[in-house]
Amino acid sequence: MSNIRDANLHSDEEEDDDFGEEEDPRPEKRQRRAPSDDEDDEDDDDEDAPKPSGRDKSRNKSNGANEDDEIEELEEDEDDDDDEDDDEDEDDEGPRRRRGQRRAHNPFLDTMAEVDEDDEVDDEEDDEMEADFIAPGDDDDALRHRAGDDRLHRQLDRQNQADFAEDLEKVAAEMRDRHGGRRGHRLGDASTVTPKRLLLPSVNDPSIWGVKCKPGKEKEAVFTIMKKVQDMKGTRNALNIISVLERGQSMQGFIYVEARRQADVLTALTNIPNVYARSGMILVPVDEMPDLLRVQKKAEITPGTFVRFKRGKYQGDLAQVVDVEQSGQILNIRAVPRIDYGARDDGTDASGKRKRSVGAVRPPQRLFSEAEARKYHERDLTSTRRGIFNFQGDTYEGGYLVKDVRVTALQLENVNPKLEEVTKFASTGDGNESLDLQALSQSLKASTDKYAPYQPGDMVEVYAGEQAGMVGKVTRVRADIVSMNVQEGPLKGKDIDVPFKGLRKRFKEGDHVKVMGGSRYRDEVGMVVKIVDDRVTFLSDLSMGEITVFSRDLREASDSGGMGTAAGKYDLWDLIQLNATTVACVIKIDRESLKVLDQEGATRTILPSQVAAKIPPRRKDAVATDRNGSDIRVEDTVKEIAGGENRSGVIHHLYRGFAFIHSKELQGETGGIFVARTNNLATMIAKGGRVASSGPDLSKMPEMSKKPGGNMAPPIIPRQGGRDRILGQTVHVRQGPYKGLLGIVKDATDTTARIELHSKNKTITIEKMKLGFKEGATGRILSYAEFVQPKKGFGDRGSNTSYSSGNSSAGGNSWSGSRTPAGSSAWAGSRTPAGAHGGSGGGGRTPAWAGGAGDGGRTPAWASGSKTPAYGANDGSRTSDPYKDGSRTSNPYRDGSRTSDPYRGDNDGSRTSYGQPVGASGASGGRTPAWNPGNRTPHYGSGEPGPRDSGTAWDSGSKTPARSLSSVNDQWNDSYGNNSSTTARTPAGYSATSPEFSGGYTAATPGASGLSAPTPGGLSAPTPPVSAPTPRANTWDAPTPGGPASAATPGASGGDNRRYFDAPTPQGGGYSSAKTPGAWGNDDDDDAPGYN
Amino acid sequence: MFFLYDLERTITLHPYYFGPHMREYLINKLLTDVEGTCTGRYYIICVLDAYNISMGKILPGSGLAEFTISYRAVVWRPFKGETVDGVVTAVSKLGFFANVGPLPVFVSTHLIPADVKFDPTANPPQFSDNEGQVIEKGAHVRLKLVGTRSDVGKMSAIGSIKEDYLGCL
Repeated sequence: MSNIRDANLHSDEEEDDDFGEEEDPRPEKRQRRAPSDDEDDEDDDDEDAPKPSGRDKSRNKSNGANEDDEIEELEEDEDDDDDEDDDEDEDDEGPRRRRGQRRAHNPFLDTMAEVDEDDEVDDEEDDEMEADFIAPGDDDDALRHRAGDDRLHRQLDRQNQADFAEDLEKVAAEMRDRHGGRRGHRLGDASTVTPKRLLLPSVNDPSIWGVKCKPGKEKEAVFTIMKKVQDMKGTRNALNIISVLERGQSMQGFIYVEARRQADVLTALTNIPNVYARSGMILVPVDEMPDLLRVQKKAEITPGTFVRFKRGKYQGDLAQVVDVEQSGQILNIRAVPRIDYGARDDGTDASGKRKRSVGAVRPPQRLFSEAEARKYHERDLTSTRRGIFNFQGDTYEGGYLVKDVRVTALQLENVNPKLEEVTKFASTGDGNESLDLQALSQSLKASTDKYAPYQPGDMVEVYAGEQAGMVGKVTRVRADIVSMNVQEGPLKGKDIDVPFKGLRKRFKEGDHVKVMGGSRYRDEVGMVVKIVDDRVTFLSDLSMGEITVFSRDLREASDSGGMGTAAGKYDLWDLIQLNATTVACVIKIDRESLKVLDQEGATRTILPSQVAAKIPPRRKDAVATDRNGSDIRVEDTVKEIAGGENRSGVIHHLYRGFAFIHSKELQGETGGIFVARTNNLATMIAKGGRVASSGPDLSKMPEMSKKPGGNMAPPIIPRQGGRDRILGQTVHVRQGPYKGLLGIVKDATDTTARIELHSKNKTITIEKMKLGFKEGATGRILSYAEFVQPKKGFGDRGSNTSYSSGNSSAGGNSWSGSRTPAGSSAWAGSRTPAGAHGGSGGGGRTPAWAGGAGDGGRTPAWASGSKTPAYGANDGSRTSDPYKDGSRTSNPYRDGSRTSDPYRGDNDGSRTSYGQPVGASGASGGRTPAWNPGNRTPHYGSGEPGPRDSGTAWDSGSKTPARSLSSVNDQWNDSYGNNSSTTARTPAGYSATSPEFSGGYTAATPGASGLSAPTPGGLSAPTPPVSAPTPRANTWDAPTPGGPASAATPGASGGDNRRYFDAPTPQGGGYSSAKTPGAWGNDDDDDAPGYN
Repeated sequence: MFFLYDLERTITLHPYYFGPHMREYLINKLLTDVEGTCTGRYYIICVLDAYNISMGKILPGSGLAEFTISYRAVVWRPFKGETVDGVVTAVSKLGFFANVGPLPVFVSTHLIPADVKFDPTANPPQFSDNEGQVIEKGAHVRLKLVGTRSDVGKMSAIGSIKEDYLGCL
């Protein structure tokens, strides 16, 4: 810069000289220098700014207004100007030349006058320029004043009078010239410091054009232009430009030319190499001109500062300046080498050309190793002195690469060295830490502006400068000034401003801190254990390892944890799946990678993307067996007893035969985690003595008091050979999110079907059980079971065969029996009489029924109440009518069925009963529903009888049973599953042997007892149902089925129930007896009205 | 430091347990739930009494009843700067861990006097100043908490023995 400035300055002056005053007003003006110009120049000097243009501008500015007059009265003006000028610039010739006159012309200022005496000598010498016509007079004046005594005064008076005698007009003119001009300038120069803004360029000043040039050639271009200016000077085509400058650092590829007219610029730049004047030039806006000349202080490079490589193999690497060459253009630096010792040869290929290491992996940073270098490339290695090696053209000293590098290849600003990088320079090989903190902090200070290191609320401490030792809380941060509220000492409570320099954050031991800034440890959280200067050591919460960072990178964190989950989804000690066979435990989380310990005990570093899945912790249910055969679970404390190192710890994860165990003793690289086979472990302490777990879980019902049986498993419908019947069917979805939609079955497995929905262009997979099938003929909706087993159920309602088949299936205990029971009992019930009447195969059972009056309490109720007669009737004569009637009559049934819902909840019986109504209405339906009760199908079943009523049947019957059934069903299944029990308990339901049935009840007694006592809410439901039959029976006995039945149900329940349970047999008997006849009779009656 | 705190807890009860022993159930549940736990700020050492059990309120939809129990409990809350006694549980070169009652405390080497050095060769590894002060697993130490950290349901702290009258007991 300085070169250019001088050059420019020089050329300016030359121009001044060259262009005579007569030739162009501009140069003349330049000679006149506003007093402030000098100051400006000085400022510029200080700032290293290019002088000439600044001066030009300011000059032009201050003079611009008066331009015209001044041109005319050039000389006088000049004198006046100079008069005002009280601080001179000794450097410049021009000013010095004029100084003498100036001094001489200051007759009214005593001080000046006194000083001037010796100056006059100089002045005389210097005064070879233009003659000053008022000089003599002035001298006199000065003398008069200088003496300051009477004589002089008198002399003055005399002189004045003499003058007076002369042409007054002339005097007047003289005075006007002298003082008028001065007054004007006084105003402008009232203060010695002219506000800078007044010096700013205006539109009247010459413009500056930015011209493109070849990047890097800016200086060259400027020099060329300067040469050209010199060459052309004095000739006819002298260049009319004022200055040329370049800002190679900040504005690469541009030079700036100051001139009045663009044409001048063009002429000046023609034939200048590397300058592309024709490709367009940019007029610098007036208000940006000052910015063009603003100079940013360059980072000061001293040995010890840190820099970064801009390019090449070491791009981005930190280096430390060892020495600065005198030119300042080359730095001797040292860096941690990246040498690939294993690389073949010296990087040249067969043709001798240097290979480009395209895509080559950059070797890691490592201090130079003599041994390795010798091993691979002995002949490339020479050693000049001990510890200094030449290897493949580079010099290595103490393990570091030492190199001369051009400044341009280095990044000097915003180096922002990180501690871990810096520490590589800290050790000098002998293990001593010789970290040059001074240099380091210098490098750091320079780069702190990258992000605000201080934020309001931070506690800071001043460690350098006048206010060293001050501790305060940051209240405000502006640029690099921190306002802080002093917290300690005599200034407590005061606000002071402190620059970043000399400030550091203050932490105390035990503070909870978080790493914020550009450190590798970002987001680590921990507690401070040690503070040395501005290095803070803290104990990471996550890894329990110690981390040292600069205090400026830390912020205080809240005391509560909130693990820094920087790596996203994975936490420390998570169990993750690496591949199908490998799991691993996260032992360390870095910002971009995870360190894991796999089940083989190997640690590896992986990327989060390599993790196949995270295995969610299964706190409770994961159980393994230790060497002694006892259970071990997560969080137990175990000890290795075989094949290990007797380590012990707390189990974090169990996976297959492996346990990931955390031990506090083992720190080290795995963070205390180790992996062991569970059969090499022995339990030390089970967590919380597991056994002594705390009493019952009060938010759940104890398992014991739950009625046996849980949820009913979905019935297994045997797969039938051949094509699945449901394929291609149009079905309703009856459950789930797609409930209500229609679709076509595209594919089916044993349990699921794929349905192509009509309404949505989508194919869903859904359990078959959730489907409803539309029966072609009637439009009824059938459940899957119904659909698949059509013959058993609804094939032909009127036919007896179906009944008998139903029976047989019941008797046979086939799976369908499980369904059937409901149906079958219904059947039985219905048939029993039927059998009795018709003397069909059912007869065998009939007695059972009869005998089972106890259970019959229900059954008969049903049977008698409803179908039996109907059936009987059917059997006997009216085949179809009764059915229809039945369907109609089914209302009462349905009522019954409703009531029976709870019933079902109770017991199989409930179903049976349920089935019965169904059976009554639709024989087959009887069965199916029985099944489905769990699934709500019953409704269907119940619905079947009378399509009309089906809706209500649904509604009424639907939910309660469905729910209550769940528990019951299992019982069902259970009892069913054990076929023996079929005869025992179930039969009651199924084959309808009364004692058994009652036995079944009593067998269920736990439940039953439970019924009576514990669960009023849940179980109360069943109770009434149980009783329900009774009333029903009654109701049936009595003609009015619907109302009374429902009414009776709850009311009667209690009493009935008890009775029922207390003395089943008699009651049953009573019932049966009561029923049978009643039923019969009634049924007939019933039927009669019902049918009617 | 120990405190007597008035605390509250909400307990839900299955209808199965409704009845004359409800109160017993609730208090038992309270004790098992609460005693010996850590809230993140303090440890509940002991429940003194449950002085108020609110009326149960049936939760709609589930049938469970919800009770709010006000109880008084002795709690221990560790403070920064508090001096406590603990038992060393593990020793490593970075420092040692000690249990202060339920609270695990880490004492870093930086917070151990310089003359007490880690001796990895000893069995078990120990910190020792060669003058009779031996900190090994099981040793009793007096330490000062310099920082505490709370998480959900657990706490940890770091301690220092780098002061007079601290260290091995």
